[in-house]
Amino acid sequence: MSDSFRSATGRKVVSRASAADLGMVSYFLVDVGQRRIASVVVGRGKKARLVDWAQVSGFGPDAVMVSDEGALRPAAGDREQAAADGKLDMLGKRTLTERGNKVGTIGDVTFDPATGVVEMLQISDRTIPADTMLGSGTYAVVVDASQEPVP
Amino acid sequence: MKLLMTASQINGLPVVTVHGGDDVAEVRDVIYNPEAGRLVGLTLNKRGFFSGRSREVLPAEAIHAIGRDAVMIADESSLVAPADAPDDVGHPATDRNVIGNDVLTEGGTSLGVVRDLALLVGSAGEVVGYQIEKPAGGHGYIPLPAQLAVSGAALVVPDVTQEFIRDDLVGLGAAVDDFRARLGMQ
Repeated sequence: MSDSFRSATGRKVVSRASAADLGMVSYFLVDVGQRRIASVVVGRGKKARLVDWAQVSGFGPDAVMVSDEGALRPAAGDREQAAADGKLDMLGKRTLTERGNKVGTIGDVTFDPATGVVEMLQISDRTIPADTMLGSGTYAVVVDASQEPVP
Repeated sequence: MKLLMTASQINGLPVVTVHGGDDVAEVRDVIYNPEAGRLVGLTLNKRGFFSGRSREVLPAEAIHAIGRDAVMIADESSLVAPADAPDDVGHPATDRNVIGNDVLTEGGTSLGVVRDLALLVGSAGEVVGYQIEKPAGGHGYIPLPAQLAVSGAALVVPDVTQEFIRDDLVGLGAAVDDFRARLGMQ
């Protein structure tokens, strides 16, 4: 059963060791080459921290379980900092083909909560397979020429 | 599909990395070789808050694609200092700007004054026509042969060009191939 960025945003993140509420899911950082969620951003602003996908023990419908609070770490490097600041958030981002034409704005992104594999991008009234993604950055998500808009 | 754009439509487009998804610059102007009818590169502005002229240029060979909404490049290494760019990009000739030139047919009729370039975009950038301001007023588009005589004040086109003046870019797109086929037959 797929989950989605939009429905998972705001979900609580809980320590399995202490049952403590560690914050809420704010953004996702996607590794485009691997087509997987690299890490989950917990909290916003200066308090934002990252959990690597490997540290997520269960991405459930009501809570995201991590081993303990030690799984949360500050952003390292420019790309993670941009993710923590929400600048890489794919929701609401424009999508361009590699030919430089706009496809639309991303409404939602579906993924497999068991593996973190990103499955589909919902763009306006279309659904695009995530394996057409070539890049994801601060300005746009870039997809390959197979998704060229029909004039 | 054939996509034609004027140089002024390309100016201001963001320059976006395919594999990074970041807007690393903005098009300032097209650098064009009128004799060869070829886009040789783009000059750039910086993006965002600290906007202003960028010292780097984008040679045509490093352009992945030009589209309606963005100029795509592989990554930031495509942007180079003028000294590291081919000569016609790094130090373009300043005396060959065709904008404002009079367009004369071989028979000596003026078709108008060049106002803009019309480029066939996509993977490369070929200048296939000009937007002209007609002597009687109003705009039109003329197709260009592959090679052209340009003086810096006027340019000379074949007489048959007169039959291929179109009202818009779509019309020009349809006319270019027919025009060149006609020239080939002569």
